[in-house]
Amino acid sequence: MSPARVPAAPPVARTARQLRESVTAARRRGRADTDTNPLRQGLRLERVPDPCAFVLFGATGDLAHRKVVPAIYQLWRTNLLPVEFSLVAVARRPYTSEAFAAELKASLEKYSRVLPIDEDSWAELAKRITYQQLDFADDAGFDSLGQKLDELDAKCGTAGNRLFYLAVQPSQVTEIVRQLGRVGLDKEVRGAGWRRLIVEKPFGRDLDSARLLNHEVHKVFRESQVYRIDHYLGKETVRNLMVFRFGNGIFEPVWNRSYVDHVQITVAESIGVEARGAFYEETGASRDILQNHLLQLMTLVAMEPPSSFQADALRDQKLQVLRAIAAPDADQVRKNVVRGQYGPGWVQGEPAAGYRQEPEVDPESETETFVAGRFEIDDWRWSGVPFYLRAGKRMPKRATEISIQFKDVPLRLFRESTGDPAPNVLAMRIQPDEGIMLRFAAKVPGLGLDVRTVNMDFAYDTSFVVDSPDAYETLILDSLLGDASLFTRADEVEAAWGVVTPIINAWAEMPPPHFPNYAAGSWGPEAADELLERDGRRWRRI
Amino acid sequence: MPARPVAHSVPEIEDQLGKLWERAAVARAEAAKAEAALVAAQAEAAARAASALATARDTSDGGGSHVAARTSVLNLVVVAGDEQAAQKCAAIIMATATRHASRSLILSAVDPSGPAGLEARIEALSMATAGGRAETGAETIYVTAHGETGAHFASIIVPLLVHDLPVALWWPADPPFGSRRADRLLPIADRLIVDGSAWSGDGLGILAQLAAAVEERRVVVADWALLRQARWREAIASVYDLPDLRPHLGAVRRISVDYAPEGQGDAVWETNVVRPLYHVAWLASRLGMTVAKPIRRESAGRRVATLRQKEHEVAVVLRPAGSDLGPGSTVRVEITSRFRGAELVGSITADDHTVEVSIRDDGRERVRRSYAAPRLTDVDLLALAVEEGAADPIAVHALATAHRLLGVESDAHKTPDRHRSQDYD
Repeated sequence: MSPARVPAAPPVARTARQLRESVTAARRRGRADTDTNPLRQGLRLERVPDPCAFVLFGATGDLAHRKVVPAIYQLWRTNLLPVEFSLVAVARRPYTSEAFAAELKASLEKYSRVLPIDEDSWAELAKRITYQQLDFADDAGFDSLGQKLDELDAKCGTAGNRLFYLAVQPSQVTEIVRQLGRVGLDKEVRGAGWRRLIVEKPFGRDLDSARLLNHEVHKVFRESQVYRIDHYLGKETVRNLMVFRFGNGIFEPVWNRSYVDHVQITVAESIGVEARGAFYEETGASRDILQNHLLQLMTLVAMEPPSSFQADALRDQKLQVLRAIAAPDADQVRKNVVRGQYGPGWVQGEPAAGYRQEPEVDPESETETFVAGRFEIDDWRWSGVPFYLRAGKRMPKRATEISIQFKDVPLRLFRESTGDPAPNVLAMRIQPDEGIMLRFAAKVPGLGLDVRTVNMDFAYDTSFVVDSPDAYETLILDSLLGDASLFTRADEVEAAWGVVTPIINAWAEMPPPHFPNYAAGSWGPEAADELLERDGRRWRRI
Repeated sequence: MPARPVAHSVPEIEDQLGKLWERAAVARAEAAKAEAALVAAQAEAAARAASALATARDTSDGGGSHVAARTSVLNLVVVAGDEQAAQKCAAIIMATATRHASRSLILSAVDPSGPAGLEARIEALSMATAGGRAETGAETIYVTAHGETGAHFASIIVPLLVHDLPVALWWPADPPFGSRRADRLLPIADRLIVDGSAWSGDGLGILAQLAAAVEERRVVVADWALLRQARWREAIASVYDLPDLRPHLGAVRRISVDYAPEGQGDAVWETNVVRPLYHVAWLASRLGMTVAKPIRRESAGRRVATLRQKEHEVAVVLRPAGSDLGPGSTVRVEITSRFRGAELVGSITADDHTVEVSIRDDGRERVRRSYAAPRLTDVDLLALAVEEGAADPIAVHALATAHRLLGVESDAHKTPDRHRSQDYD
């Protein structure tokens, strides 16, 4: 055995993942080492994350505190992270590592999905937290970061594996990537560990900026190193959509233009912009939701069966859908896309300010907080089937749902019935109350022949009472394992912008909208209802 | 103090079950009405027209008046033996109820020579979900059979199963393979749950019978003894993920398993060695080994066997070792391999919380790792045992290899005594 070919084994302990916490990991297939390590075959945990340093840029920000760190804590608490793990928190504000860890703990007590905090577990994780003050434009700071990571490799056994998580403003991504490249932190040297980059949405502001961003990122990182997070793809129900479609034989035969009348996808939020007014002013509903969440859900509904669940097989199919959506011209935008902005109103019994009255929002803002559109996919499966997509803030309730509305029966045999049986609907609730509902007609008990629509309802939490992992837990673990299936690829991002950019551009050319045009606590502007009424349809009541 | 029986026949049990859920539905409907009234009052006081309209739309399509559904996902039948075992099983089942809504039938038999009859009582667990909206239910039916009735468990079980749901048959003590009772109950079950490490004696005879049942009757088995070892398998596999160690998996020369003995002298042979044997069987099945010489006794609790991997032999040793662990527990697994002149010895030990692995390369320590992997509880094991939807092929292969390893010692092929006094159906 040649010593030169033998990677030095880390001198300190490494953790295995706890069996009973690992049901989700059991579903990970394809990238396992089973081909070469026969002992891994059939284990619930087919892979274990490598030792690594998790470098969190924007560590003092809202996303880091609400989502990323709670997810890391949860993974740590359930032994899903290696012992040789280090969390390097990077931000501009001055902190000591201890003070920052204390602040993270306070956030965990607010945002962790499992409370109370396990003190022993947190103490172990806190020991692995290092804070690095850094101005993203500061060369010396990045030099120092590189040195610190080398020190951590020696001290914590992180083996040169580094995950860079950019929980920062979109405008800062390019600069950080450039700096990482400048100090060589992107370089994967054989035997010296992997380097991965997680980028949060939005990936650009339009097609050109997305291309530019991809170009800048690719100057430093290869595409295989880049993990673009759309956290919707990490949600259990979204992942279950694939199982539902491709793990059951009875739905796929009717999943096409011959049987489906239309598809509705709704992403409704009851909250406003909260403390993110400045961010939202730069994005709006089209960039914040339509370009990513809504179009991603649409691709999962519409894609052809992939040949496997390998990352690229899956993403190739999604890409085909995006490329089959015709980019709308200005007339089509005017006809098929509706934008809105909420004014003052009442949401869930509480008064709610209008968008223009929110903090950090321009009192004359033209940013849309609601978008709805009618899209078509020009392929053999879906030609002629409209997909109605809508997303909005300050809706009456928080709800994300996909509903497949089937065609009516060819002959109404029960027209004398007092009830008018509605067409079948298959609805997949993404949040809250995750589940699947099938609506069909049934005879009302009695001597007559009355027909009424009934729901057959499957609720996740009645069959699986176990907690689902948060999407960020799933996605962070996947990125540590090098599984990119649930992350969006550069070409996917650009194809999605290819659909949304013409809409944004057309709006820019139109006269200023009459905002606000819907009251907080309503389902959006009337024009959104008219969008469907024109086709003889209406939005599902959610 | 056991609760008062509410039924003395299967129809009475069915009647009680029906009433139970009717009462639950009524209670829930009343609660929903009260809640709706409260919401309406609040809305009237607080909401303006727009939000009132939204609320009306909100509740008009079923969302606000969701009817709670009892969602059973399996039938779990426990042949508990006696009342004490039944209570223990019930406690474990209750702890898994949040993971697996089910109808559980816990059967025990008393006073076999007394008058025939049965007593049953029912417990229902209703749980609000995290969202506080829906409910899920788990029912446990305790059936104590007296006299001749205890010989006819199958006739009690079948009518009480929720139709169209899988049936898991949990036999916490020695399953009487080959008996009339097993012959009647096994066909009912989609899955058999056993704990090989709890079997009487060395457990190897029953293990052989279990393996034979799997091979001949295609019984799907979840053996806690094998499930418990998942953390060992994880740790062993992870070490051999190191690329330069992998070739050693094809060059294993010796597998030695130390186990905690029960008693001394001849009594040591009575130690249940199912778990130590499973380690060998799993490794052999994964690493493409065949059985050259089945397991045989040597002395002082030491058993040996010979496997063959490619062209070379692999010595197998199971031996007792001093330990504070419970009898039959694995103390250490040692895997010795020789590849290109280098001898590698992997040594794996575990305590309640961790699994330790050390690899020595020609006597020099190459790797030492500690895996945080707590021992699974009975609740975990039951949950895992019912989670799997189909036979785990790795377990099937391990069991088949164990069967072959038991070629000499096994009494699997002995004709079972169908006329034992305890040979109930």
